[in-house]
Amino acid sequence: MVTVRRISLWFLSTVAVVTLLFGYHTSTSGPAPVVTQAVAPAGGSTVTGAVAQTRWGPVQVRLTLADGKISAVDVVQYPDGNNRDREINDDALPVLVQETISAQSADVDMVSGATVTSTGYVQSLQSALDQAGLS
Amino acid sequence: MGMPISLALRGRHAGDAHGDAAWAAALEVLRAADRTFSTYRADSVISRMNRGVPVDTPPEVADVLAIGAAAERSSGGAFALRRDGVLDPSGVVKGWAAERAAVALAALPDTDFCLSAGGDITCRTGDPAAAPWRIGIEDPRDPTRIVAVVPIRTGAVATSGTAHRGAHIVDARTGRAPGGLASVTVVGRSLTAVDVDATAAFALGADGERWLTTRGHRAAFVVRTDGTTGTL
Repeated sequence: MVTVRRISLWFLSTVAVVTLLFGYHTSTSGPAPVVTQAVAPAGGSTVTGAVAQTRWGPVQVRLTLADGKISAVDVVQYPDGNNRDREINDDALPVLVQETISAQSADVDMVSGATVTSTGYVQSLQSALDQAGLS
Repeated sequence: MGMPISLALRGRHAGDAHGDAAWAAALEVLRAADRTFSTYRADSVISRMNRGVPVDTPPEVADVLAIGAAAERSSGGAFALRRDGVLDPSGVVKGWAAERAAVALAALPDTDFCLSAGGDITCRTGDPAAAPWRIGIEDPRDPTRIVAVVPIRTGAVATSGTAHRGAHIVDARTGRAPGGLASVTVVGRSLTAVDVDATAAFALGADGERWLTTRGHRAAFVVRTDGTTGTL
């Protein structure tokens, strides 16, 4: 089944909400089939953030700028969603403790933690924002 | 810097305009909560209350303050709505707002969702035979790793701890960072309830595990400061 993901950075106390939108098969091999963008492209210059490692694989974000504002956000590199290298029993509800495993290699949909999640997205987007002088 | 809001959808409306509209509606609920509750916005209701400006208390503010007051009582004062005398309900707002935001997603027919607001997660799976969502629990000693997986179809998962952002939770009884637990994860039906109780249990420190067993949640998972883990 195709899972479609949407990532938004909730910039507290600012009006800027940048939405990344992409989808991929979570359980099939091969490259992700869908890359879409949340905002229509409007020309202008582009900056590309560094590749960031996420729990789902590498992510790279490109911003399109027009008149100093973000007009588009594209995910130019995205995970294929199939980097499970260790089987985990799905039936052991509700909590299954494994030996510590790398978040990148774990087949999980979301991560719950005391830190913010989706760090890689933030890092990649942040680096693009930094290059654009927008942060 | 803000908090990432992540959504995964699967099913009928995962990739269509209805799904997009529900996502937009969910984000608007979060923005509205920020406008009302943020202590970083001078014009929020909470900031005005802290300045002593008379305000008509919106019902959602009364809700949040009531939830926080109940957590203060149930945790014996380890959880607090005020810090240094300043009203700061952020220990309640994140889970509460995300649970409200998920209402728009739950209205999508034949569509499963998993919504994360800064690591606090609420999800639904319509078909009880479908694969559960898989929630990784971050290792508090190394946020690039996970220590457990919670397979869950419908419910909520919240984790509190000190990783990365430093000791942002204090035991309000002492004013100091609690000891004993590195992180607390609570699994249950309501994100508001599990988020508040994860924070309260973490603030209780060494008393947190015993306290959690009295709270009636579906499950809980702790990582202790000595590196051992426990499932409650």
